[in-house]
Amino acid sequence: MAEDLVLDTAIRDWVLIPLSVVMVLIGVLRYFVSKLMRSFQVPDPKIVKEGQVIVRARNLRAAANFIPPKSFRSRRVYFSNEENGLLFVPKGQAQNAQAQMFSDPNMAMDMMKKNLSMIIPQTLTFAWVNFFFSGFVAAKIPFPLTQRFRSMLQNGIDLSTVDVSYVSSRSWYFLNLFGLRGLFSLILGEENATDDTQRMMQMSGFGFDPSKSLSAEKDGLDIVQHEWALHNSQLCFSRADVGFHKQGKEASLAPSNVPQQVQASGLDSIGPRNETSFANTYAYAMLI
Amino acid sequence: MVSKTEETQLNRLENQVDNGGGGAWEYLCLARKLKVRRPENVLKYGLSILNDSKKRSALGPEEWTLYEQVAIAAMDCQCLDVAKDCIKVLRKKFPESKRVGRLEGMLLEAKGLWGEAEKAYSSLLEDNALDQVIHKRRVAMAKAQGNISAAIEWLNKYLEIFMADHDAWRELAEIYVSLQMYKQAAFCYEELILSQPTVPLYHLAYADVLYTLGGLENLQTAKKYYASTIDLTGGKNTRALLGICLCTSAIGQVSKGRNKEDKESPELQSLAAKALEKDYKQRADDKLGLLTSVLTSLKI
Repeated sequence: MAEDLVLDTAIRDWVLIPLSVVMVLIGVLRYFVSKLMRSFQVPDPKIVKEGQVIVRARNLRAAANFIPPKSFRSRRVYFSNEENGLLFVPKGQAQNAQAQMFSDPNMAMDMMKKNLSMIIPQTLTFAWVNFFFSGFVAAKIPFPLTQRFRSMLQNGIDLSTVDVSYVSSRSWYFLNLFGLRGLFSLILGEENATDDTQRMMQMSGFGFDPSKSLSAEKDGLDIVQHEWALHNSQLCFSRADVGFHKQGKEASLAPSNVPQQVQASGLDSIGPRNETSFANTYAYAMLI
Repeated sequence: MVSKTEETQLNRLENQVDNGGGGAWEYLCLARKLKVRRPENVLKYGLSILNDSKKRSALGPEEWTLYEQVAIAAMDCQCLDVAKDCIKVLRKKFPESKRVGRLEGMLLEAKGLWGEAEKAYSSLLEDNALDQVIHKRRVAMAKAQGNISAAIEWLNKYLEIFMADHDAWRELAEIYVSLQMYKQAAFCYEELILSQPTVPLYHLAYADVLYTLGGLENLQTAKKYYASTIDLTGGKNTRALLGICLCTSAIGQVSKGRNKEDKESPELQSLAAKALEKDYKQRADDKLGLLTSVLTSLKI
C-alpha cells in the first residue's frame, strides 16, 4: 500500500515545468490585455468627496489631542451634526448604494470585464490541463494526507490503492494558480490583474458601501474622548530644555490623564447652543 | 516639505553640475520628486540635455516629462519662446492630452492673458470636473491677478470637495494671515496640525496666530503651542523660545488686575531666557546685548 512509486523524470520535464511556464505566460498576457482594456473611469464627485471626508475625519480622530478642546468639539459637531453634518447619512440612502451599483451601467460593464478577464483564461487552462494531462500520476506531495483528499487530488487516477500523496496534474494546476501570485507581483509590479484570489474574495464581499464607512467614522468620532496633550506641554518643555542639545522626544507629548472637565472649566461657560452657532459661523462659513 | 538631507543633496548636485561634473539628469529628477522651485537651474540643465540630440534620445520615454519640466521652468523665468517650443513638441506628440492642455493654459497665464487662460481651464474642467491641479491653477491665477477675495472663494470651493489636501489648507492659512483674518487662519492651522501633528512648523505658526489674536485664553494656548514646538524641535527653535517669553509677559500684563495663579510661568520664562542666551552666545555673540535688553524689558 505504502510502497514508493518511482515517477518517470519525463513527467517532470514534460508536465510540471511546461504547465508552470504556460501559466506564467498566460498571466503576463492577461496583465497586458487588461491594461489595454482598461477604460478611464470618470470619478464621481460625490464619491471623491466622501473619500476625502473620511480621510479628514480620520485625521481628526487620530490627532484629536493636539488641538484645543473647543476646536475639537466644534469640529466634531460639524461632522456628526444631525441635520447637515458631513458624516451623517439618512437611513433611506444607506440601502441604495448596492442597488445603485447594479443599475449603474458603467460600473456593471467594468465589473463584467474584470470578471471575464479572470474567468476565461482560468476555464481554458483548466480544460487544457484536463484534456492533455489526465490519467496519470504527476507528482508526489511530500506530506501524508488523509483519504478524504483522494477525490480532489487524484481525479484522473482510477486506482483506489494508490497513496493519496500521489496526485494528478490537476492539483499541480491549482497549486500554481494560487502560488504564482507572489511571482507575478515580482515580475509585473504591485498592481496586476492576475490577483485572482483577491478578486474572488472581493466578489464575495460585494458592495463597497460608502455610507457604511461614513457611519463607521461617525461612530468612531463620537467615541473619542478629548484629552488635551498640550496641557502638560510646559512641563515637557522644561524637561526638553534641560536636555537642550539632545534630540526632541515626541513621547513626552503622550496624552496626559487630565480629565476633560478640569481643562474645560473656563470654556464650558459657553453653552451648547452657542457652541453650535460658533461652529456654524466658524466652520461652515469659511468665506470672507 | 523638503528635509535637510534632501536639500543638501540637491545643492551638492547643483554645485557638481555647475562645475562641469555631469549629473544634470539626477538633479532634474530630484527636483521633480521634491517639487522644489529652482527654475534657472532646471532651465539651464534641461535645455543642455534637450538641445543635445544624443542625450535626448538616451532618455527614452522620460524625454516628455523633461519637456514638461523645462516648459514650466521657462515660464517661471519668463522665457516664453522656449516654453512655447516645448509645448508645441509635446502637443505634436500627445494631441489629445489634458496635461498638455494644462501647460497651454499656464502659458496663457504667463503671458498675462487671464481671460483666455480662464476659458482654457474651464473647458478642461468640463471634461473632468475633479482635476485637482486645474482647480489649483485657477486659484493661483486669481492670486496673481491680485484678486485675493476670488482666490479665497475658489480655494474654499476646492477645499469643500478635497478637504484632505493639506497644501491647500496651508495656502489658505497664509492668505488669511496676509489679510489679517486671524480667526480663519487659526482654523486652517488647526486643520494642518490635525493632518500632520508632528510638524513643528504648524504648531509654531498656530501659536503665532493665537498670540496675534490676543486675549488671555489665546495667549495661554499660544504659550502651550510654543512649548510643544520646542518639544518637537528639541529646544532649538529660537522663535518659539522668544514666543514663550513674549507670551508670558503679555499674560502678565493682561491679568495684572486679576488674581491668577500661574505657578509654572516664572520658571518657564526664565528657562526660555536662559536657553536663548545660551543660543545667542553660541551663534551670534555680537547680538547678545540686544537680546539681554529685550529680555529685561519683558520681565515686567
